[in-house]
Amino acid sequence: MELTLPPGLSPQGFDAAVKALQGAVGAGWVLTSDQDRDAYADIYAPGPETLWPASGAVAPGTVEEVQAVVRLANEHKLPLWTVARGKNLGYGTAAPRMPGCMVLDLGRMNAIVELDPELGYCVIEPGVGFIDLYERIQRDKLPLMMSVPGNGWGSVLGNALDHGIGYTPYGLHAKNLCGLEVVLPDGDLVRTGLGAMGNNHAWNLFPFGYGPTWDLMFSQSNLGVVTKAGMWLMPEPETSLELNLDIPEAEDIEWVIDTLAPLKLGGIIDQSIFIPSWLGKMVILGQRKDFWDKPGAIPDWRVAELLKEHKLGYWKVQIRLYGDETVNKAKAQVVQAAFRKHIDTPMEEVWWRKGDPTNIMDTTLGVPSAVPLQMGDWVGGRSAHMGFSPVVPATGKHVVGQLRRSRKIISDHDVDFYASFTMGGRFCNNVNMLMYDRDNEAQVTGIKKLFNALIADAAAAGYAEYRTHIGWMDPIADTFDFNNHAMRRMTEKVKDALDPNGILSPGKQGIWPSAYAAQRGKALA
Amino acid sequence: MSRRAMEAALALALLVGLGACKVVKDKGNEAAQDQAPPGGPPTLPAYQMRAEMASGDRLHTSMDGAALFSNRCGACHLAGGMGTNLLTKQQMAAGRPPQMGLLVNRDDLTADYVKSVVRMGKAAMPRQTRVDVTDAELDKIAAYLGKGK
Repeated sequence: MELTLPPGLSPQGFDAAVKALQGAVGAGWVLTSDQDRDAYADIYAPGPETLWPASGAVAPGTVEEVQAVVRLANEHKLPLWTVARGKNLGYGTAAPRMPGCMVLDLGRMNAIVELDPELGYCVIEPGVGFIDLYERIQRDKLPLMMSVPGNGWGSVLGNALDHGIGYTPYGLHAKNLCGLEVVLPDGDLVRTGLGAMGNNHAWNLFPFGYGPTWDLMFSQSNLGVVTKAGMWLMPEPETSLELNLDIPEAEDIEWVIDTLAPLKLGGIIDQSIFIPSWLGKMVILGQRKDFWDKPGAIPDWRVAELLKEHKLGYWKVQIRLYGDETVNKAKAQVVQAAFRKHIDTPMEEVWWRKGDPTNIMDTTLGVPSAVPLQMGDWVGGRSAHMGFSPVVPATGKHVVGQLRRSRKIISDHDVDFYASFTMGGRFCNNVNMLMYDRDNEAQVTGIKKLFNALIADAAAAGYAEYRTHIGWMDPIADTFDFNNHAMRRMTEKVKDALDPNGILSPGKQGIWPSAYAAQRGKALA
Repeated sequence: MSRRAMEAALALALLVGLGACKVVKDKGNEAAQDQAPPGGPPTLPAYQMRAEMASGDRLHTSMDGAALFSNRCGACHLAGGMGTNLLTKQQMAAGRPPQMGLLVNRDDLTADYVKSVVRMGKAAMPRQTRVDVTDAELDKIAAYLGKGK
């Protein structure tokens, strides 16, 4: 990809910035060839990758180098786009929101600084991937269980900071963060919470600070660069019991949610409960053309046939209980009794006991894997996916309402319907996976239209997305409209105060510094 | 993970790491024989552990190609990985045996081809940045995998 300069920077200014960065991190870690720019593009881009071009990447290896890079970026007015490992697939990968940003790639900072099985936490740098941390726990034979998302190739901190979710009792990853070390936009270094005391022993254990607690202001944020953080890990349970049940009809989700919510809120079920629709299972069995070889969405009659042929329900409920065997048995009875009020089919029970092997698809037992990304192969070609992910209250009424509306819109756009609801507490994350072949222009155009229709519909109905692709960061920010976008006004005041040159991730989540305010609304998908 | 499973995973990681090609191929065959017939779900292997990265300057790596391949590419290209799953399907569709889904078993890859796919991407394979895999690391990985003429 050819060089795209950031707004306001001359070619000479860019060259001077690159030379200065080379002096700070070493010439080998400033990456500005056409091939480098390609490698930092969004491989799942809905449309041309050139909409979101990086001018290059810089990869510091230490906190001091991050500070030096940030100071030089201010001096040279070179905007940066921070990524941890740059594997945010479906949300922009490593590509910057604003064309011409230099990617600040923290992938080299991959130290596991602390790993404490006694109190169940680690202190890690952003370059640590889920697979790295998992292997370290296994090698050291530590009684800890991770919570992992669908893409285990990505960064533990990057995922938590982008509000990623997993499927164990520790499934709300941002809630596990405790004590952040952050390089501020002027190059200063702070530690949040009790870490503000230089020699404090509890900064990764106590979740508040003395006075205002800032930790989450650095999540989905462009107010600083997180260089390490504490992350809580679940003690490995003695046993785990999986309860499996196929739920026959789409509309059954209403009673399923109303059955599960009291169990979740009452502490019978601790995990974030993942309920995928049938296509989540089918994508592993083959490609779309193996089951339906015509263009357009698979018609309902064929879906019904496929569910029968493959003995699948419309939904798969997989509940996992963690802890002492006696307690799990008692909890299972409560869960089964609650479901028996609605369905006669008994739940399949699968026990796991400490020391039993796990397999690579056991995300509910905290095993990281990239295999779930294989779903992209469903459509074939240079496949990609995006997630439309509104948050809805955990009641059957809200969930089935969202389901009906999004299912109709997706069907009207002739796209296969693949939804999941993950109950993380009093809410569900409703992720609608939209899979497309990047080289099929009609599919890409259709997916973009569909995405816009889904955003507008959900916002009108009172639901927001929890996370989005770079190409929709401004439109989603527009939906947060209370008091004429008062929250955006506040965050942008903070942004300008901390980052007067606007050099850190301009446009992230729709927050634009004054220096690049003219870029708002440009480079949309 | 049980002690036995752990030892098995470690043994495989070590075999891959030490580049014991013959034994690796045997392991590959075993993994491939575990595959269910096409159309059914594949049998899932135990989780594979990658070789550890050595500390030191990655721009002038002292590691060998096998260990580098295991660590840098292993998230997808060991047995049971996403890349292996997709390549197994492709290889079988082309009439080749399923064990050819494992890149270590391939005899038709050239070093230049490996470099090209790593940097340019191919189908589901994303382009790898020079932070993911440095040029020095890629030279060794490509030489390790590039058994083709």
